[in-house]
Amino acid sequence: MTESALPPAAALTSTDVRAMRPLRRVVGVAAACAGVALIAPWLLDTYTLNILIRAIFFAMLALTVDVLWGYTGFLTFGQSAFFGAGAYAAALVFTHLGFSPGLAWLALGAALLAAAAIAVVTGWLSFYHGSTALYASVISLVLPIVMTQLLFSGGTFTGSSSGLTGYTAPDFSLEAWFRIAGCVLVLLTAGAWLFVRSDGGRVLAAIRDNETRCAYLGIDTARLKIVLLVGTAAIAGLAGFGYASFSGVVAPELAGFVFGTEVIIWVALGGRGTLVGPVLGALLIEWGSAYLSGSLPFIWKLFLGVAFVLVIVLLPQGLLPPLARLLRRPWARRQSGTDAAGTADTAVLVESPVRAAADRGTPVIELAGVAKHFGSLQVLSGIDFVAYRGELVSLIGPNGAGKTTLMRCMSDGAERSAGTVRIDGHDIAHAPPHACVRFGLGRKFQTANVFETLTVAECLRMARVRIDTPSLWRRSTTLALPPHALAVLKATELDRKLHVEAQHLSHGEQQALELAMVLALEPQVVLLDEPTAGLSLDERSRIGAVFTDLCVRFNLCLLLVEHDLDFVREISTRIVVLHQGRLALSGTVQEVVASELVQTIYAGSAGHD
Amino acid sequence: MNLLLDILTTAAILYIVSAGLLLIFGVMKIINFAHGAFLTVGAYASLVAARIGLSPLLGLAFALLVGALIGMLIERVVVRPLYARPLDAILATWGLAIVIGQVVTLVFGREVQMLPSPVNGTFAWPGGEYSAYRLLLVGAAALLGTALALLLTRTRIGLVTRAVIMNEQLARGLGIHAGMVRFCTFAAGAGIGSLAGALITPLSSIDPNMGVPWLVNAFMLVMVSGVSMVSLLVATLVFGAAQVLLSTYVSPVLGGLAIAVLAAVTLRIRPKGFSRD
Repeated sequence: MTESALPPAAALTSTDVRAMRPLRRVVGVAAACAGVALIAPWLLDTYTLNILIRAIFFAMLALTVDVLWGYTGFLTFGQSAFFGAGAYAAALVFTHLGFSPGLAWLALGAALLAAAAIAVVTGWLSFYHGSTALYASVISLVLPIVMTQLLFSGGTFTGSSSGLTGYTAPDFSLEAWFRIAGCVLVLLTAGAWLFVRSDGGRVLAAIRDNETRCAYLGIDTARLKIVLLVGTAAIAGLAGFGYASFSGVVAPELAGFVFGTEVIIWVALGGRGTLVGPVLGALLIEWGSAYLSGSLPFIWKLFLGVAFVLVIVLLPQGLLPPLARLLRRPWARRQSGTDAAGTADTAVLVESPVRAAADRGTPVIELAGVAKHFGSLQVLSGIDFVAYRGELVSLIGPNGAGKTTLMRCMSDGAERSAGTVRIDGHDIAHAPPHACVRFGLGRKFQTANVFETLTVAECLRMARVRIDTPSLWRRSTTLALPPHALAVLKATELDRKLHVEAQHLSHGEQQALELAMVLALEPQVVLLDEPTAGLSLDERSRIGAVFTDLCVRFNLCLLLVEHDLDFVREISTRIVVLHQGRLALSGTVQEVVASELVQTIYAGSAGHD
Repeated sequence: MNLLLDILTTAAILYIVSAGLLLIFGVMKIINFAHGAFLTVGAYASLVAARIGLSPLLGLAFALLVGALIGMLIERVVVRPLYARPLDAILATWGLAIVIGQVVTLVFGREVQMLPSPVNGTFAWPGGEYSAYRLLLVGAAALLGTALALLLTRTRIGLVTRAVIMNEQLARGLGIHAGMVRFCTFAAGAGIGSLAGALITPLSSIDPNMGVPWLVNAFMLVMVSGVSMVSLLVATLVFGAAQVLLSTYVSPVLGGLAIAVLAAVTLRIRPKGFSRD
């Protein structure tokens, strides 16, 4: 399963069959659930049907919150605003224009469009290069407050505080409503299930785990999150449209902050990041509320509050995962052996050809007059520096000389205070990291920087997102990597651990994985910040050989920050010395090592000149 | 003149309401969504105090005490396990707010209650007059701000607390019991929140959900203020002024949104908000 040569045709078809298995299972389960939704109206009384239909629309909303919060890590209080937007769009059309089948379609379009349009603005405000998770949550809190206030002040147009009621809405029987809503919910859940497990959907987990790494893999996370928010907002708008059409009444509270937090309670209790949990949470809690809030009005809410606090503190994953484990235990014993440790899901490695690199000796990173200061503190000044293809340049200097700062200035256009940086001929101007990566830059951080909850194969696939656009509904059975990334995997035997989650790897393996991810980007120039830190002697010499190979065979330009002079001396083609924020020296290994400056710096006696 | 006083008193009220939240956020980096519930608790505490015949000043002390005691309990049971999960702490404290709100409802009922103001009438001067209680709140805010500032800069407790704010690991390395600092901070923040609830009750009615609208404004003010009491003062003055001016000259609805929207935009343009570093 881990052969890195191209697999023969027969193997491909068998992996194709394997890839279809989860799809078939989802379709089967979804069909069964849809069947239940179709039969249920015959078994339930009118009151229960009424409650459940409303609950189904709420469950669709819970689904969107789970995708955003459970999978992407964006805690949102504001999905209710999109639900409210959809509901009001429908109610406004039906109230002010009347009802006809054509107008119902118009109302649906308006609902989706209104929700999506608000999401574009919200997304632009919430997500930008450098925005924090907390800030996005703050915006999601402001949004529903603004929405409700606008609805309150809408006078007779929006019905102000009493909302809109008494409009004519699509006239289906209760049973038909249940069947339609139920089937839509099943479809949405199944779609979301396929999406979050697809190669494209795993990007969400990568963003949740480590957004910085995503950016340095060339993924524009801000844009992705905006797109995701717009998509989930449209679904929330659809749910709101359904709710308004069914219930015949809308009120400002539907768009409010308190309702937004209620959705979070359903998701948290059901189990964030499980999709099914939040749906069940919404259905059961709404159903329970309807029965119990009559007889035990305040106790029920009190009970919910206590349960919510307990789950957040003690069971952050919600109630579904532990319950599922409990139910699955007898099954698992019978099935063990057929599905060995999930390796069946791991893709096969194949080699992808790299674009032919340009001639040896062409400049690939050029710095002119680069400077950086923090307030009045000058960290770097007047750095002029060029590195060429096939070079292995080591950047040395005492602590505080500005080595890491210089690397930051090369990989993020917002970092430097003055000067220009060109990567492979492109001026990076103020480009954020993901754009620098697109110009041909790869950056490996000092401490291993991978996606903890993703498997080795998934981590590598994230690095390929920019090159091989991943599918949004299925998993690829192959993982195409350039030969140098494959070589690193093979040298470190990571190719046998493709199904292991990155957090379970050793420190050295994580470092190697990150290097392979950076190489999978097919960069022209690679920045490496202390790649040997924390490695054993043996690992060190192996990684040195890998570096040399990358320069000689693949014509890459490597830029190392390193403290270990012996290591530097062994592998570098050129050494650059940074001292007190200036380029002090640049030359061959012999020239630099023999120089007086380096002697004094590394003897520890270099004072102020 | 009245407009200026409106701005000044609004800022004072906002400052009183936000101070406890800021204290907790500053030291613990945790947003206490139960803050609104503490306001409610304080309001009901002053109601109880008035019913059993305590003087208004003793009523305030009673509210402070009740809030601090509940805060201690909550820190021990709920907040402590969540220091490493700040987003979950927001949710857990919000859940607590629901619990507190429901308990209050069960004990006192859902209906709106009124508490007469301890200081009636207006303060008059040649050419104008103004609500005396609102003016009194400016004094209360000044007193609270000064007391907090003195506590943080002039006492040993304050020194230790500031050490934890700046660098918790280092503080711990120096033998400071960070857990204890957090415990005290949360209790103090909850107590101040409760005190704020008691202070604002004469201006508004008392009901189990009265804290929620205040929570959002206080939260936004804390977000733009960072961890500094001084930036909070600036923020309350600027946004308080915006709220009053918009309410007076444009529309009360816009005025009500002013703080939330302006704070969000401020953070988008300048992520540090009003804090200097």
